[in-house]
Amino acid sequence: MKPVKIAMLSLTHGHTRKYYQTLNDNPKLEWIAVYAETEKVKKNFLDWGYDIPCYLDEKEMFDKHPDIEAVVMASANNRHLHQFRECAKRGIHVLSMKIPTFDLEEYDEINDLVDKAGIVCQVELEMHYNPVVTRLYELAANNELGRVSAINATNITLSPVWAFPWQGVPEESYGKRVRLKEGDHRFRGGALCDHPHVFDLIRWMTGSDFDYVFAEVGPNIRQDLEVEDTLLVSGKMKNGVSFLFDPSWSRLEERLEVPGPGWEIFPKRMEVNVSVSGEKGVMMVDCFGPNVYHNGKPNDRYTVQYTYFDEWIGMMDEFVDCIRNRKNPKINLNWHRKTIEFVNACYESISTGKTIYL
Amino acid sequence: MKEIKEVEKALSGLLEKYAVKPASPFRMQKEGTEDELILLPGYCFENSVTEANEIPLLSWRAKRKFVELKKIVADTVIEDICLLRFLSMGCPDKWSLYSLVYRELDIVEYIGNGRIVSVNAVFAGKEAGNIILKLDNGALCSIEVGIQMPQGSKLLDRHEIIARRGVASDRVVDSQVPLSSIYSFTGEGEKRFTDTDMELYGFCENQVDHIRSAFQVFKNPDLIEIWRKQHSHLVHLTRQVFESDEKREKIIL
Repeated sequence: MKPVKIAMLSLTHGHTRKYYQTLNDNPKLEWIAVYAETEKVKKNFLDWGYDIPCYLDEKEMFDKHPDIEAVVMASANNRHLHQFRECAKRGIHVLSMKIPTFDLEEYDEINDLVDKAGIVCQVELEMHYNPVVTRLYELAANNELGRVSAINATNITLSPVWAFPWQGVPEESYGKRVRLKEGDHRFRGGALCDHPHVFDLIRWMTGSDFDYVFAEVGPNIRQDLEVEDTLLVSGKMKNGVSFLFDPSWSRLEERLEVPGPGWEIFPKRMEVNVSVSGEKGVMMVDCFGPNVYHNGKPNDRYTVQYTYFDEWIGMMDEFVDCIRNRKNPKINLNWHRKTIEFVNACYESISTGKTIYL
Repeated sequence: MKEIKEVEKALSGLLEKYAVKPASPFRMQKEGTEDELILLPGYCFENSVTEANEIPLLSWRAKRKFVELKKIVADTVIEDICLLRFLSMGCPDKWSLYSLVYRELDIVEYIGNGRIVSVNAVFAGKEAGNIILKLDNGALCSIEVGIQMPQGSKLLDRHEIIARRGVASDRVVDSQVPLSSIYSFTGEGEKRFTDTDMELYGFCENQVDHIRSAFQVFKNPDLIEIWRKQHSHLVHLTRQVFESDEKREKIIL
């Protein structure tokens, strides 16, 4: 199979650097170019040492490399509509970051663009290519716990806003400036916008959709942020399974402009843990364990060093397969719309203090 | 697990050792005579106002781990609590949703150093569910409860307090289940042991808590009225939690 010629856009998303190794190593991909939004972003990319041309103008990159077949759209949420329009015009397939947009009219426009252009659009929800999650889905499908009563999950991390400032700007993260609730100085666009994975996971596991949700914000750990950093979400699926999600940025970090060693103040910077309660018992799942630990450089602080590595490989393999064999990706725009609706429903619940029905 | 008579005898032993004289004869089970004080965990008393001879114990408050977590918060070792995340998974032969909710609501207030001002609950039948609460100090809390652990299981719980400065927890970072003190691997399988109380060696955790908390109320009789008031508050709170689930709405207290 001919390798897919692929580029990266913007390089401002938190997951950007995770793609570098995959694009470089995967023989099914031919890494053609990148577009960096600013000089600073370009410099950060060049420091990695990849021998890939780096442009400061998106159009220039596309014009100079008309053979680009696909892009990783590694940009802020509010840039996606424009970039989808450009890619659809050029017939370029898109691996979109986890939030194409929160505006459902824009979302539907993006979906239309993708359909009419006949391009592949896969949404980056990399947990689907995680071996622990694969085992979890298998156990659920094999009825390990019998009838499930509750699925609770965390998708908690440090806050990426110091390295990726757009995630702390309401207009760039949520798409517009909407106050969280009356009397609150904060706006939509924080942790909830960053952590949709578990909302998607429960839909896959249960084969059901959301019935109702109640969400509430806590006080900010980082008082200088104008978006939310702690919140809780609970509710029920249409098949009766109750859920509680914690998508907070509740693991404190050093305010580094470039992620790297010493980022963590709390030893473990990220977790996706799931507990499932059913008629036959209870399951506790750590999607990223087991790990290793040290308290060496740079801060002599006890730190969790993750050992997982291959989610991105599986995801890009599927992307290539869909492009070459004209398939629809598992996580496509149609599937993902309900997760976006759910996030908006959470914000509505926070705003009104009420249970929201979907 | 030791018989209730041994539990009562152990309490008597402690009272004698520390020269504490109980006001009346007592028992630590429901059955007995009317002139005896009945000392049981608060969730055993369904009514918010207890009879004169009923003493609702907040027995978990005697647990060393909760004493230390409370101190960490009260002494501002961690500062400015933002989020509390609690979980309690029990087995149906030892627990009900009511008893777990009652217990965890008290631990929220005890460790969180505040009063609960709102609750929102979602339950899946009588087996499992979740509660989101707010405290009067602004902290947001979650309680996950369930009684679907296999029969005979130990309570699986977690209490994490996340603050602007620091995080405290009874769970090691990057672990999913509580630690034990001893792990024994033999041909008969794996066994675990956790012993935290030398004076009450051989009693299980719940029995140790029961005895220690009963001892506390005899030693400090002022505690009886304080715990009665808290019990009344907890019964009301627990009822509100179940009402919130029924009505599918947040209840502001």
